[in-house]
Amino acid sequence: MDEALRYRPRNRLLIIVGNFGSGKTEVAVNLALDLARSQSVCIADLDLVNPYFRCREAQEEMEALGIRVVYPKGEYRAADLPILLPEVRGAVGDPERLAILDVGGDDAGARVLSALADTIVAREHDLLMVVNANRPFTADVPGCARMKEAIESSSRLRVTGVISNTHLMEETDAGTVRAGITLARSFAASEGIRFECAVADRGRAEELAAEGERGPFLVIERKMLPPWLTRGATAGSGWFRRGA
Amino acid sequence: MAKVLMKGNEAIGEAAIRAGCRNFFGYPITPQSEVPEYLSRRFPEVGGTYVQAESEVAAINMLYGGAGVGKRVLTTSSSPGISLMSEGISYIAACELPVVLVNIVRGGPGLGGILPAQSDYHQATRGIGHGDFRLLVLAPASVQEAVNLIYEAFDLADRYRNPVLILGDGMIGQMMEPVEFPPMRPLDSLPEKPWAATGMKDRPQNVINSLYLNEHELNAHNFKLKAKYDQVAREQVRFETWRCDGDLDVLVVAFGTMARIVKTALADFNAAGGRGGVFRPITLWPYPHEQLRETARRAKKVLVIEMNTGQMIDDVRMALGPDREVGFFGRTGGVVPTPDDVLAAIGEVTGKGAAR
Repeated sequence: MDEALRYRPRNRLLIIVGNFGSGKTEVAVNLALDLARSQSVCIADLDLVNPYFRCREAQEEMEALGIRVVYPKGEYRAADLPILLPEVRGAVGDPERLAILDVGGDDAGARVLSALADTIVAREHDLLMVVNANRPFTADVPGCARMKEAIESSSRLRVTGVISNTHLMEETDAGTVRAGITLARSFAASEGIRFECAVADRGRAEELAAEGERGPFLVIERKMLPPWLTRGATAGSGWFRRGA
Repeated sequence: MAKVLMKGNEAIGEAAIRAGCRNFFGYPITPQSEVPEYLSRRFPEVGGTYVQAESEVAAINMLYGGAGVGKRVLTTSSSPGISLMSEGISYIAACELPVVLVNIVRGGPGLGGILPAQSDYHQATRGIGHGDFRLLVLAPASVQEAVNLIYEAFDLADRYRNPVLILGDGMIGQMMEPVEFPPMRPLDSLPEKPWAATGMKDRPQNVINSLYLNEHELNAHNFKLKAKYDQVAREQVRFETWRCDGDLDVLVVAFGTMARIVKTALADFNAAGGRGGVFRPITLWPYPHEQLRETARRAKKVLVIEMNTGQMIDDVRMALGPDREVGFFGRTGGVVPTPDDVLAAIGEVTGKGAAR
């Protein structure tokens, strides 16, 4: 992939929102891993509404790269409790590290941001909405706009950009990604916000780049896997892990 | 229709709508809360009624009423919530009312945990309520299969006038997979229910009640139900066999998502020269006892793998008889066996190298 097509965020406080199941965690984790190659990164797991598929599951891999991962530790790791750690506010206010907040789904998940809104607005930031056109309720521009409005009203913040993450898991082809980019661009244009990037695996991204798609692209590897797609995982707690 | 990407819980809600269900009564509990969440959003678009009850006890009795007036009704819950519904489910079965229940199982007993488990097998197939009755119990292994089974469950419930339970686990509820939905069922195509309490007008009175103070009447009612369950057992046994042709070193019996993990492990086992297959019951009641017995005849070893300490193994033993040795591997409480764990268990039973 041509370096010029690689996604580089313009701000150092990135808040990832979107509807439930849009792929916020995959995007946040992959973005953290990508940016950690060149700078100091902190990621905070702010998903207080759903105990499954949270970025704390990829913690080991991220910490190995020097990424600071903020999430409730110990016995509360797998709890469905609305725990907002004080470290999150610290991470938001710390100019030394690029901070990524992985927020819960829908307006319900974004509500936690309203408690942090004062600290957030004091720093240059982007509120990035992840959109997967194959998910219910965000298949078209009006659906995306309704979701954006609901997230903005519960978070007391403004969405500044859209990340196109349209896929169908293993059944994703270049056409799937292309259709998502088209939707995300129209949505961004109609709302007057930025089209940030398109998310795709390496194969799909290269295919689209060869067709002349200018992206930029966030090239990802799927981290959140069901157990039957994991090999070489060791026995222990937790019910899905990184692939070997 | 094009495929969409759905969480299992959302897909369950949409499949119920497609099947002509317009009435949901329930109470949120992790890991199934996305079903009520989804339906509370979708029902207004299709003219459905969504009621969040004050408890599971209230919800199941609302189902009793809704089914009694002839509506297609649904509730979904997770383990402790299903326990609370126990009494109402027995009443519903006694009154021969068609309802669809979904249990997205979490770790137990007690409050347990919120991660996936299969520890409600006994409850689902043996003891979901008091009295002599049975549920049809269907166990999907993928989001698509959950959609297909929910869609059909409403027809099965109507055909046999009996509750149908879909038994999933936290993974079925929470994971996202591409799915294709069956067409929207026109409401005027749903079966007539001449027994429903819809206002008597000029027909004889319909009574929906499970109280029989005359012992002979209750005895007769129980044998009438028994005849129905025998008919279900003859007509509805479903299962999947995977790589079960020819002689086998090992036959692994597993249901639901556990069977998918076993397939990943057996693909490696078979690639290394072993011969292993999976027998996956889809109906947990009626259980495919005969089909399992036939398949197991060609296997040197039989291994049961479950996310519990050994529940379905009772049915496997019943199918295979006391002379057949049956191995077991299980994990509980949200610890999901990995393909490597399964491969090690297979290695132990077969004596064939599990090392990769």
